[in-house]
Amino acid sequence: MSRTALIVGTLGSTLMVSAQAHHSFRAQYDAEKPIEVTGYVTKIDWMNPHVYFYIDVVNAQGKTESWAFEMGPPHMLEQRGWKRNSMAIGDELEVSGTRARDGSLSANARTVKLRATGQILGAASSEGQTITQGTTQGAGSGSPPAR
Amino acid sequence: MASRSVRKRCAVAAVAAAAVAAAVLSLLPAGAQPAAEPGEPAAKPIPRNADGTVSFAGTKDDVGNWEGPPGTSLANNVSADALAPNRLNLPTNLSVADVPFQPWARELYDQRQATFTKDDPHTRCKPSGGARLFHTPYGFEILQLADAQEIMFLPVGSPHSWRVVHMDGRALPENPAPSWYGMSVGRWEGDTLVIDTVGFNERFWISREGVPHTAQLRTTERISRPRFEQLRYEITIDDPGAYTKPWSGGWNIPWSAGNEPFDYLCQDNNLDPARMVGPQE
Repeated sequence: MSRTALIVGTLGSTLMVSAQAHHSFRAQYDAEKPIEVTGYVTKIDWMNPHVYFYIDVVNAQGKTESWAFEMGPPHMLEQRGWKRNSMAIGDELEVSGTRARDGSLSANARTVKLRATGQILGAASSEGQTITQGTTQGAGSGSPPAR
Repeated sequence: MASRSVRKRCAVAAVAAAAVAAAVLSLLPAGAQPAAEPGEPAAKPIPRNADGTVSFAGTKDDVGNWEGPPGTSLANNVSADALAPNRLNLPTNLSVADVPFQPWARELYDQRQATFTKDDPHTRCKPSGGARLFHTPYGFEILQLADAQEIMFLPVGSPHSWRVVHMDGRALPENPAPSWYGMSVGRWEGDTLVIDTVGFNERFWISREGVPHTAQLRTTERISRPRFEQLRYEITIDDPGAYTKPWSGGWNIPWSAGNEPFDYLCQDNNLDPARMVGPQE
């Protein structure tokens, strides 16, 4: 099976996510840097305050990189149908999200697709923001700025 | 800039059921009950305790808690290129320009805003004193303990912390040791719970937006439940160390039906602070 890093770019569809989180989204993530990658699960931390999972991704230079993706808290994901065993070590995933501002190989996961089944689940921990085509806007408000 | 595209995104957001519900709540004057349209179910009665005071809890048929909306603020951060304030903010909230900041406090507030609130102590799993508790993600519960003459605030999205309000008529202490939640005493004024608090430390932010304070802070909070699904929260900030005179702000908090407390410990795997770098340019 090939492991391929996919193109970073604007999402083709409009996604709406409204959820709480314990931290400022835009302090950590840059809404102008959407990302889509494909890789294999190496670790899952099903823990508060946010679930993290890690995948190995082969970049354009053929080098394997370990990416960290943040999701919502466990209970929120469970309310949306995501279970602790919805993914497993070794599963191949297609993930879209928003890159971290610090330049690390980490991102906030917006959607996760299980390649084996095609199942797509939302995952963002975007604290009450609506994510639309890679941008964020505070739900129903503009001030204070979305965060 | 309040561009057309931004407004369009707001319009899209408004179709979300939660946002619509929040907007309806916020448009109501405090204390107002909406008139039911023909065929609509009657408004749910506001529950009461055995002693007749308003209950801030759910019922056996309607569990839930209060989920503090993250976009709300004590001061409306309105400028020429900003959109309207959050619709859950109280209509009496001041604009930032009218908040009686001392210069250093305004500078610190602006710095916290400019850095996208990256240094918020709450996100370091610190207890959230003042109004910051009422932003708590995943909701908070208010336990009214008649026998103990206490009211407890249990914020779910927290470091497993709680706040106590004494309802036994005691006076505020003269010189309390500084603490995260301070020392609180409460009383009822009609159906409004009024809480006076002193003795805060300086290690938290009063609100999510980064309102600063000093250990001289004294607060008076007024909490009421004008509708089953609405909590009205207002805080008066009296802090001569940071402000030239007392000022007030607050927001409405929607009932989050079905929300129940769950095991949440912020400290469990909090990887975020190191990555919260804010704007890099």
